[in-house]
Amino acid sequence: MRNCILGLFFALIAPTLVWAAPSPRLVLPEFTALAQKATESVTITLDAALLAMAGRFLNGNDPQDAATQEILKGLQGIYIRSYTFDKDAAYQQSDIDAVRNQLSAPGWNRLVQTRSRKSQANVDIYIMVVNNQATGLALIASEPRQFTIVNIVGAIDLDKLHKLEGQFGVPKLDIDVPKAPTPSVKK
Amino acid sequence: MSEEFESRLRAALRPVAPSPEFTRNLIARVTADKRTEANTPGGRRRNPKATAWWLSAGMAVSLLMAVGVQQHLQERRETERGLEARREVIEALRMTSQKLNLAYEVIKSQSPSLADDKPGV
Amino acid sequence: MRILCALDKDKLTLNEAPQGFSDEHLAKARAGDTAALALLIRAHQRTVYSLALRLLGTRELAEDLTQDVFMQLNGNLKSIASNTHLLFWLRQVTSHRAIDQLRRRSRIEMTSLDDEVQLVGTADGGDPLLQRHLQQLLLELSPPARAVLLLRYQEDLDPVDIARTLDMPVNTVKSHLKRSLEILRQRTPPPERRRCEDKST
Repeated sequence: MRNCILGLFFALIAPTLVWAAPSPRLVLPEFTALAQKATESVTITLDAALLAMAGRFLNGNDPQDAATQEILKGLQGIYIRSYTFDKDAAYQQSDIDAVRNQLSAPGWNRLVQTRSRKSQANVDIYIMVVNNQATGLALIASEPRQFTIVNIVGAIDLDKLHKLEGQFGVPKLDIDVPKAPTPSVKK
Repeated sequence: MSEEFESRLRAALRPVAPSPEFTRNLIARVTADKRTEANTPGGRRRNPKATAWWLSAGMAVSLLMAVGVQQHLQERRETERGLEARREVIEALRMTSQKLNLAYEVIKSQSPSLADDKPGV
Repeated sequence: MRILCALDKDKLTLNEAPQGFSDEHLAKARAGDTAALALLIRAHQRTVYSLALRLLGTRELAEDLTQDVFMQLNGNLKSIASNTHLLFWLRQVTSHRAIDQLRRRSRIEMTSLDDEVQLVGTADGGDPLLQRHLQQLLLELSPPARAVLLLRYQEDLDPVDIARTLDMPVNTVKSHLKRSLEILRQRTPPPERRRCEDKST
């Protein structure tokens, strides 16, 4: 009898639990006005089908591809918006508020908030955890001339992801930032 | 007087840079040229033979080939889509990793004792 | 989808001429290092582009020539012995190719001078009207005289180096310089009078 009552109780509340389950997928605006001002814009929309397609073309024998395959396991989507401008303060923080507001919804936890006076870069990383499992990641990086929003849906391993940079053939130029050339008015 | 004019001339003739977009394209083209082998396409031409008694056979062959070509093109399109998806995935992960690294560097600089800790969850 | 620059540092260097291109970088570029090659282009693009722009007169032609020069350099990097040699090679090839082009062209287009003025004005904050005026006069000189003047006052070469670059006798270089300077000086009003003329127009 008690089991029947308990079963009925859970059957009744189950829909509400499902209904209340937070979504790790953010609604990313088109940023049309900002895109027109930007010198470069990157829009990446990779749903589960595209990720699966990409996975078929990754070569497990190649270290970079193998690392990528590892990360893709368990992912259902990767969504990125990134805009670069040719001058500081070309965008406002309020432009990104529509995204930030979604991260105050239940389920999202802010993992990291960094503010760098040196590089003037602010990075906020949020993670969605359901039943002790990471189900989504959101990252907002704002720099003087660029902002980037990353939304990853699915189980993501941050440690593996962090180690990826440098593996994709991006040249690491160990060169000091050059000073602006002085005018060459010579006698 | 002459020196003053020459100074003005030098000032007017200071080197200028091309647009950033041109520079990016230039670097991309020159470095791509460095990396890729000259790859001239096959350029095989098919000259259809129009003599009378090959005509029907030719049509049948053309039809079969059209089907085969269509299949090949479809496969090629799928391969291209797949490769493009692969490229996008790699770029997406690279960008994400780069931004994570940005945060990690700040954390590392502020807490030297955490420099050896693994970042993330 | 466009690929972003990998590092913020790259954005800073795109419009500036980094001074840090060493013989070591050149050696790497010769060995096929694409990062070093990219750095080479950034370090020397201003020289090539400015010569091309002021010799040919339009941005499109200048960009085409700049690209051609660097592509040609790419194929000849192994023969470049040092940075000095590299600079000499770039100036020589750019000047020769531009002069060849000009000899084939019958008309010099001057429609993009506004663009030039914006570029130069932005680069050094100088008087854009004066710069435009001088550049217009420059385009009226013969191609060899123009090249001589640019190598002298843009690249700061002495007449002997100019002669070597352009395969020209030193005395010819000196004659071009003397005549060109006289023409430019005569047709360029002094700053005070020019400002009054600007106000009146």
